[in-house]
Amino acid sequence: MEMLRAAGLCKSFGEDVVLENVDFSVEKGETVAVIGYSGSGKSTMLRCLIDLERADAGDIIVEGEYLMKGGVYAPEVEKRRICARMGMVFQSFNLFPHVNVLNNLIYAPMYVKKEPKAQAVARAREQLTLVGLADKADAMPNSLSGGQKQRVAIARALMMQPDVLLFDEPTSSLDPQLTGEVLAVMKKLAAQRMTMVVVTHEMGFAKEAADRVVFMGDHGILEQGTPAEMFGAPKDPRVKNFISSIL
Amino acid sequence: MDYFLQLCGALSGGLKYTVGLFAITIACSLPLGLALAFLRASGNRFVRGITGGYVWLMRGTPLLLQLFFFYFGLTFIPVIGKYLTMERFPAACVTFVLNYAAYFCEIFRGGLLSVDKGQHEAAKVLGFSRWQTTLRVVIPQMLRVALPPVTNEAITLVKDTALVTAIGVTEVLYFAKSAVNRDVNVLAYVVAAVFYLVMTYGLTQLFKYLEKRFSF
Ligand SMILES: Nc1ncnc2c1ncn2[C@@H]1O[C@H](COP(=O)(O)OP(=O)(O)O)[C@@H](O)[C@H]1O
Ligand SMILES: [Mg+2]
Repeated sequence: MEMLRAAGLCKSFGEDVVLENVDFSVEKGETVAVIGYSGSGKSTMLRCLIDLERADAGDIIVEGEYLMKGGVYAPEVEKRRICARMGMVFQSFNLFPHVNVLNNLIYAPMYVKKEPKAQAVARAREQLTLVGLADKADAMPNSLSGGQKQRVAIARALMMQPDVLLFDEPTSSLDPQLTGEVLAVMKKLAAQRMTMVVVTHEMGFAKEAADRVVFMGDHGILEQGTPAEMFGAPKDPRVKNFISSIL
Repeated sequence: MDYFLQLCGALSGGLKYTVGLFAITIACSLPLGLALAFLRASGNRFVRGITGGYVWLMRGTPLLLQLFFFYFGLTFIPVIGKYLTMERFPAACVTFVLNYAAYFCEIFRGGLLSVDKGQHEAAKVLGFSRWQTTLRVVIPQMLRVALPPVTNEAITLVKDTALVTAIGVTEVLYFAKSAVNRDVNVLAYVVAAVFYLVMTYGLTQLFKYLEKRFSF
């Protein structure tokens, strides 16, 4: 079943064409790794999918519903309902620094979904246990390491029970010794068949955990395939170059 | 000593207006300043321009001039002037609220701009409405940045209340001045200074406590 689909997606910043007729789709339970040179539009594509960036043309379909159809967005209320099926994890974590970890997790369920506080707190503690931070519920975000912050951010996104999770370079601002703990959580989610789109420079993760690897360049997707195809025998010379440069 | 206590008693008579003006100004100009700060950051160029002009005017002219304008000046506006005439104290309050709102607007605007773009984005992908984002995410973070400059303004305000002596509001300095003239003795000014020092000291302590509470 198709979870998420962009068709003919176009996005420019002024004169700067970033996405040109991009077709991209994700199946339910699939983990897609998006790789490519920096500046190739990976973040822009992800941000268009979740309405953080306004696309210029094309369709965006989430579980059969149009977020955008022929360049026209759904009405505001519809848009919010459709986007609520997706969650996002950012490179810079973006935790709320003024409240503790527990409140970071329960704010959205409580204020957006009107979930009773006791129930939200109980779920938050479960989520924190899953990411290995059960003892950090009362900690303030600024007292955590980068790896811990990102695991809290993942837990926070999961609290809204999204059908798709988007990750934009979740480990790129972490010290190398801290990337492992974040990638471990993501691998666990992948193993549970969470639907995920992961923009990453971690080729190890792409190889081991992704079902499909997408290479972006030249305003769109240059090549895609299974990790074995992409890392074993890429067809496009630019993909070959990139992969040999990074491994 | 007796004379000192007598002066304290006399000057206390002015505290009602000094403290009253301070409290009314803070209570009204903070929310008004916050509202102006949001208008100042609005997407509408017209709204931004109007609020920008307002802040420019209020901060670019002397408070004493504004006080004279609102108390003595409004009366002379043709036709509507007679409806705009105010008593001394209300005129002082209106002037101070309008003036301080402009300063607070600029402080809050700086605070709003200091909130990271990522905070807005995180709130959005979690489904927060704009109003919820403002209330739960932006304002609490903005307050931390705004609190120290707000403290400074509040202390300035305590001292500025003395300006309203010039339009004859019977606050602390007004009584001090009459006592000095009557008794040909400077002690009343010293007592008034102590009054202001106590108030500014108390405020500093209060804001220190608030700053601690809002830190993260
Ligand atoms: N908000 C923006 N305004 C202008 N240009 C932007 C903006 N965001 C991204 N770009 C440009 O779009 C291109 C793609 O950026 P991005 O999607 O961030 O690439 P990637 O994530 O693959 O590194 C870059 O040339 C970048 O400069
Ligand atoms: Mg990027």
